[in-house]
Amino acid sequence: MDVALVAAAAVVTYGSRAAAIVFLPPPTGKMLTFIERLPAPLFAGLAVFALVGDAAAWPEPPALCAAAAALAVAPRRSLAVTLAAGLAAYLLGTVLW
Amino acid sequence: MRVKGLPTPVLPAVLPIAGAIGVFGVVYGAAARPLLGGPLTVASSVVVFSGAAQFTMVGLLAEGASSLAVLWAVAVLSLRHLALGAAIRSGMPDSRSRRAGAAWFVIDETVGLALARPDESHTVLLRAGIACYLAWIAGTVVGVAGAAAVGLEALAAAVFPVLFVGLASLMARNLDLVARTSAAATLTLVLLLAWPGLGGLAPVVAAIAVSAAGRR
Repeated sequence: MDVALVAAAAVVTYGSRAAAIVFLPPPTGKMLTFIERLPAPLFAGLAVFALVGDAAAWPEPPALCAAAAALAVAPRRSLAVTLAAGLAAYLLGTVLW
Repeated sequence: MRVKGLPTPVLPAVLPIAGAIGVFGVVYGAAARPLLGGPLTVASSVVVFSGAAQFTMVGLLAEGASSLAVLWAVAVLSLRHLALGAAIRSGMPDSRSRRAGAAWFVIDETVGLALARPDESHTVLLRAGIACYLAWIAGTVVGVAGAAAVGLEALAAAVFPVLFVGLASLMARNLDLVARTSAAATLTLVLLLAWPGLGGLAPVVAAIAVSAAGRR
């Protein structure tokens, strides 16, 4: 049963990935404008969800420090800087708390 | 036009992301092995390639959830792939079979990297995708093999919000997008507080709402 479940999960996951890329035409007009706006807000929402989880629980201090540091350097718009700042803040957070 | 934050070549930007994914893979492998067994745990990473879906699946199975409940949760988490796929669609090749192959590597991180390089999004998606895919499987194998995940789980959990903040900052190229991004983060939190059952749907709903609002 677990094998079937894993297989079904694989089908669902790949299907969702392929749906827009394989079967839909490239967006145009207002749909294109909407689609172009979507990624940044989606990643921001995912950041919040990853931080607080389903129950919107207060995150552990090191994780909160990491996220705060990432936000602080976000205007730099550099993935490497963001990751480095986040990791450094996480390590600092584990020392302090 | 290249967006700042993604150096040439792609690999230097991908390596830390693949590293984080590999660490998460170790955690997954260690967590899933008692429930699925070693071979099926590794196979799940090979055929699903979704940390969110796989962790959710294992978590629900551990709680005795039915297969339907697990599949529903996986489907909800997968909804964001529709948005990500639509965002990257225009950068994909004309060949449907090539697009089908590229679709395998549609995860949050690879799409974010690919969108930061719109002139080479297909290539970036493939290269980043392969690196992340291999890291995920390798991490799973290491976890299944018995590597201790103590301490790694907290680190891995802290890294992903940082990654998403980084990807959001790459995509928010003007004040309008910065405002929408901030609004989406706030709305996601509000939705999760008001309706905890929304789970993985909350960021998708929030992103759609703020992206649809306002004039062109």
